[in-house]
Amino acid sequence: MNYPVWDVPASGLLIAVIAILHVFVSHFAVGGGLYLVLIERKASRGGDAPLLDYARHLSRFFILLTLVFGAISGVGIWFTIGLVHPQATSSLINTFVWGWAIEWTFFAVEIAAAMVYYYGWDRLSARLHMAIGWIYVAAAWLSLVVINGILTYMLTPGRWTLTREFWDAFFNETYWPALFTRTFLAVGLAGLYAIWAAAWLPDPSVKARIARDAAWRWVLPMAVAIPLSLAWYLNSAAEAGVPVAEIAGSKDTGLVSLLTAVFSTGIATGYPIAQRAAWWVIVAAVVLTLLTIVLAAARSRTYGRPLAGAMMILGLIAMGGSEWVREDLRKPWVIGQYMFVNALRLPAPAGAPAPPEAFVQRFGADRFTIDAVNAAGVLKTSAWVRPVPAHLLAPDDYAARVEHQGRELFRALCSSCHTVDGYLAIRPLVRGKSPEALDGVIARLASPADAAGTATAWNTLPVRAKTWRNRRMPPFAGTDEERQVLAGFLALLGGAAPSSLSPPAPSADIGKTYYDANCAACHGPDGLAPLDPKNRRPAEFYELIGWLPAINEMMPAFEGTEEQRKALADYLAALPGKAPEGGAR
Amino acid sequence: MIPAIPQPDPLALPAPAWLLWALLLLTFFLHVIPMNLVLGGSIVGAIARVRGRRPDRSHEAQLAHIIVKAMPVLISVTVTLGVAALLFLQVLYGRVFFVSAVVIGWWWLGVIGLLIVTYYAAYLMAMRESSLGASGTFLAWLIAAVVGLIALIYGNNMTLMLKPAELVARYAADGSGSQLNLLDPALLPRHLHMVLGAIAVSGLAIAVLGVVRHTHDAAFGQWAVRYGAFVCVAATVVNIFAGVWWLAALPRDVLLQFMGRDMRAIGELLAGILLTLTGAGHTVLAVTGKRPALMVTISAATLLGGIAMMLLTRDAIRRLSLDLAGYQPVNWVAPQWGPIVIFAALLLVAVGTVIWMTRAFATAKPGRQP
Repeated sequence: MNYPVWDVPASGLLIAVIAILHVFVSHFAVGGGLYLVLIERKASRGGDAPLLDYARHLSRFFILLTLVFGAISGVGIWFTIGLVHPQATSSLINTFVWGWAIEWTFFAVEIAAAMVYYYGWDRLSARLHMAIGWIYVAAAWLSLVVINGILTYMLTPGRWTLTREFWDAFFNETYWPALFTRTFLAVGLAGLYAIWAAAWLPDPSVKARIARDAAWRWVLPMAVAIPLSLAWYLNSAAEAGVPVAEIAGSKDTGLVSLLTAVFSTGIATGYPIAQRAAWWVIVAAVVLTLLTIVLAAARSRTYGRPLAGAMMILGLIAMGGSEWVREDLRKPWVIGQYMFVNALRLPAPAGAPAPPEAFVQRFGADRFTIDAVNAAGVLKTSAWVRPVPAHLLAPDDYAARVEHQGRELFRALCSSCHTVDGYLAIRPLVRGKSPEALDGVIARLASPADAAGTATAWNTLPVRAKTWRNRRMPPFAGTDEERQVLAGFLALLGGAAPSSLSPPAPSADIGKTYYDANCAACHGPDGLAPLDPKNRRPAEFYELIGWLPAINEMMPAFEGTEEQRKALADYLAALPGKAPEGGAR
Repeated sequence: MIPAIPQPDPLALPAPAWLLWALLLLTFFLHVIPMNLVLGGSIVGAIARVRGRRPDRSHEAQLAHIIVKAMPVLISVTVTLGVAALLFLQVLYGRVFFVSAVVIGWWWLGVIGLLIVTYYAAYLMAMRESSLGASGTFLAWLIAAVVGLIALIYGNNMTLMLKPAELVARYAADGSGSQLNLLDPALLPRHLHMVLGAIAVSGLAIAVLGVVRHTHDAAFGQWAVRYGAFVCVAATVVNIFAGVWWLAALPRDVLLQFMGRDMRAIGELLAGILLTLTGAGHTVLAVTGKRPALMVTISAATLLGGIAMMLLTRDAIRRLSLDLAGYQPVNWVAPQWGPIVIFAALLLVAVGTVIWMTRAFATAKPGRQP
């Protein structure tokens, strides 16, 4: 909200599409270079003219794909994140400008070496040509080495959250496993691309030689190495505080547990989007591995472009899906323990370098932390919120004001992930819900917890975002009135009548108020409750309220006051019991 | 009143501002040279391709061929150097740059698509030139048009970012990222000035090419020096008017700085004009005088100096405009000296490696050696 939100539907999806296509090419740019040089060396040493021709043929494909699409789509990611998430991009640039500058030196050498290599086939000696190739390989891999530090920092920022030091950010907890994983991916992808390129060769014996070599030496070893390095990565992430098991819906971060959770049907826990993405990754990777074995063992002479194309698509799904899972592991953060996906920052933790007095005098205190926005409100903090038109300010036109301001709040706080009716649509989620119920849900989207799950403060690091029903949402930030306005807007989206909205007023019935705000989202409004009072007495309800998560793990713990607990127990006891099968929705 | 300019991150600037500014200017200068050759060269190349169809204009056909072959490499160098300039721009001016980028969002993102189209078109031309026929001419004009459009989109972003208050109003009116800054009176002359400058630089490059080629192909060499000088001088003469138009179209408060209030800005502008005219003039001497190689060298050196001064003038417009808009630089600096030193060392290694590879390529004889 410090920066304007680009009003496009599914902006996150835009990043995902560009990024997935880019990584599929950029990892090939790393592994493919190594493949080319090794193939050229093998062909040169053995005087193998057909293999040398293949290397030359592949280098043309390589240059056209990596130098043009690979390089430009990489710049494209940068453009896109700047548009979709300027606040996070600004923080990343500030932290890593020298990392990117260092990466740029490798990138420049990589581009120059690729060009000289490609144009040098008919000019340079074989030895010099291969030397240029090796320079390319080194520069491309070192480029990955640097970018990996920035990517992993976003998930596990390590000690940076307290020190703000470059190296603490760079060499974070998942740096090494991620580097190995990406290197293995690059090597495996090189083999996959080689199989694809060989499908065009007219000579079956040359094709078979290349395909078998690529399958046995490049793809299949990586099919073993990648899962192992991924397991290491997930463990490191979990140790760094990323709720890997919670997101997968498994009991721990062991590979078997995670796999079991992903393939369990009807699982009630975990983060469904991440689980689905992981399912696709595993299925695509397994099918790809099996196809590679079949191709290498029995079809290397006869396979054609359809099979090679299918393998490429499977590779794209596996790779894209794994990047998707990585992004989901990070949610609700955009930069772990520093900034949420909706650009809200945590209040500065004690011990972190604070801005000097001159800076604060010039720019004021940070206006975009959760605490600051809670105190001042979104509408009075962001320059990018459209002001309320005069005709909506009439006191009796509350619904119209809610619609206008609610939309602005939705854009500022929710639209980094949600659309109204498209990708991650909000309308189906709020259909039929009352403003009070939605207000209750919004109030409990995320809360700070320590590693043991005990409530803590947002600026007590390390902190975990304990999210409502594990939906990986950032907390709401804004005033109470803004929260009610947003709830009203969502209720309108869900079909509530404008006349049902009224300015918040203190309710005489504490129990009903608490129920509407905290229970009705799942249990429905009173009278239709799919919870079964079973003629329980208020005292029984009072006890049950004390251990809600034990009754059903999807229920959050009661967080109200003693007075609210008693009133809620009274209210529940007074509800008619007519629960349908299946309990709460 | 909520400030129109976003609040800086609560993070220290990772280097002294002067260092970031110097690197921004240096990398942008290095980017502008190949960028001018892509922008101006694509226009000159397309014209040469059309004119070169006549049998008595074989030199123009030859020039068009050379430009076609060079274009993929030039685009690559332009992009590579541009990335660095954009990086340093974002550190120093991200607070206004990101906002203007959002306001023109789809256009800004469109740069990527346009660049990919241009780049592939340039490779297609370079690899299949002889078999393309009439579609080759179409592609040549397509490249010129798309590169011109990319330059225009960049110009839109770079001018919009100087008007923070207007950005708030524009975003309130439409946040979909479909706007451009076309009604800014300074935009069109600015764009024209840039395009004409690019054509002039390309003209000079053709003259340089003529000098280099003279020993192998005297006829083409002489023609290229003459033709390049003509292009350079003609574009520069027209550009004087475009430059005056741009200056006159600047906001009044900025213009007044160039009219006597800011001596540094005035000095940079005058030095830029003087050096550019000197550079263009020496290309004429290369045609009429006895020592074309020396004249072209002087021309190149002075024109490059002129470009450097013009970039400082452009920077002065940015600085003055943002000052007037209330933009204040970040005054919390905690330099990351370790990474800075590593960058400096690697930059030297990278420059050395690129030079070594380029020399190895340039000095190798055609034909694969065992």
